Amino acid sequence: MELSIFVQLLVLGLVRGSMYALMGVGLSLIFGIMEIVNFAHGELFMIGCYIMYFVVAMLGLPFPLGIVASGLGLLIVGIILEKGLISTLRKKAGREWLMDSFVLTIGLMVMFQNLALIIFGAVQRGIPNLVAGQLVIGDVVFIYDHLVILGLALLTVGLLWWFVKYTNMGKAIRATSQHSEAAQTLGIDISRMYSVAFGIGAALAGIAGALLITLFPANPNAGMAPVLKSFVVVILGGLGNIKGAIAAGILVGLLEAYAVFFLAGGWQNVIVFSIVIAVLVLKPEGLFAPAGERP
Amino acid sequence: MTLEVKNVTSGYVKEVPILSDVSIVAKEGALTGIIGPNGAGKSTLLKTIYGYLRPSQGDVYHDGRSIKGLKPDQMLGQGIAHLIQGHSVFPAMTVEENLELGGWIIKQDRRALASALDEVYEHFPVLKNKRQMVAGALSGGEQRTLEIARLTMTRPRTILIDEPSVGLMPKLVDTVYEEIVNLKTKGFTILMVDQKVHKCLEVTDYVYVLRLGQNSHHGPKEEFVDSIEDIIKEWI
Repeated sequence: MELSIFVQLLVLGLVRGSMYALMGVGLSLIFGIMEIVNFAHGELFMIGCYIMYFVVAMLGLPFPLGIVASGLGLLIVGIILEKGLISTLRKKAGREWLMDSFVLTIGLMVMFQNLALIIFGAVQRGIPNLVAGQLVIGDVVFIYDHLVILGLALLTVGLLWWFVKYTNMGKAIRATSQHSEAAQTLGIDISRMYSVAFGIGAALAGIAGALLITLFPANPNAGMAPVLKSFVVVILGGLGNIKGAIAAGILVGLLEAYAVFFLAGGWQNVIVFSIVIAVLVLKPEGLFAPAGERP
Repeated sequence: MTLEVKNVTSGYVKEVPILSDVSIVAKEGALTGIIGPNGAGKSTLLKTIYGYLRPSQGDVYHDGRSIKGLKPDQMLGQGIAHLIQGHSVFPAMTVEENLELGGWIIKQDRRALASALDEVYEHFPVLKNKRQMVAGALSGGEQRTLEIARLTMTRPRTILIDEPSVGLMPKLVDTVYEEIVNLKTKGFTILMVDQKVHKCLEVTDYVYVLRLGQNSHHGPKEEFVDSIEDIIKEWI
């Protein structure tokens, strides 16, 4: 393979991978602390797309504002969903909580999709680019948008990493996901940690939706494909494992980019899902679970 | 600080009380043990004291003030710590992070937190040596030491202990009881629920026997030395 093609595909793969990482990290964070699978995660991505479109295309504001608005908007949506619906259900449902959480988040998924269809119609609303132009080095073309997406995704994941690793609240969230009862006896308000974690997971989905609007225009089904792949990422990375989700997200993005180039269309999905099935059977704790550490 | 449970009726569902009219006093600076057969309501009693369950009748006092209706995460602020059953370290966090989280309610006061950390390291040198290790990599006994040390970060006055030896390797059991006795000599008021009746009688000062959710016997442990076998026979 020529080096230029290799590099070109590397960038494409990293761009897709950064989306999967952002989505997967959020899902994993939520699963790790609350043990629920958020089927509506793609719809949070979709809402992020629409907020981005509204801020940039309709209000004509600069795109960084659109990304911040999507992140903050979804943080608030996430906290409201958690406090209003999920925590209420958790307190009432007791042992049947897992099944009920499935029904709840699948219900939210269907509801958000159809609300978007009613309000915005089955129309694709995209933005041609965030930053026009491209950088050509030798035979390799770097589209500025791709570099922007990569850079901001990296920044977002870095910020999340710092938050979870070094801030008091981040430590309390990790503690709650590792042993909620012990966290509670130390004075940590665990229901607050659930809300914050869900809000952050939602914010990451919103940022992903906003960042990728030039590739995935806003439409009622915009979240379907990203969420499916994010589940893949969460399984490959190990349920609840944040580091693993980042690594798996990038891995899936790269696999897809190279598979699409070298094989007929459709093979990328066959390959990715074959790997998932293999991981589920052979290494269910995920590819990136450190030895001796609970995911 | 005295912990007093006064005529408490409590349970998971209102119509089915597990405890009825139970009263217990854990005196300041003493180790009070609660023993009884399975299903006697020992765990329910701890859950009720610590705010997981709200008594339908009666009240719980700490230092003379009612703590009924407070949530579990508010108890440490009242000076009541709880060593829960089984292992409870945060396994993927370092020993030091675990201890810092023990100081969660004083996190705003960095100086107090730092001096509490120093003090813990002084009392438990093994933790100081392994402070950058993830807690999950410690041995079972070291984990229990960390759990106990973590509880003392905010200098609580009273400690509730639920089945201290459950989930531990047999050879570690004695060490754990030694650490609990150490806590007592440091002046903590301790209320301990324990299925290991004889072990519990060795270390406690005062004993309560619960049976079928009610007070059955109580007194200083000396009174039980002769009668305990008869009491256990009654359970079977």
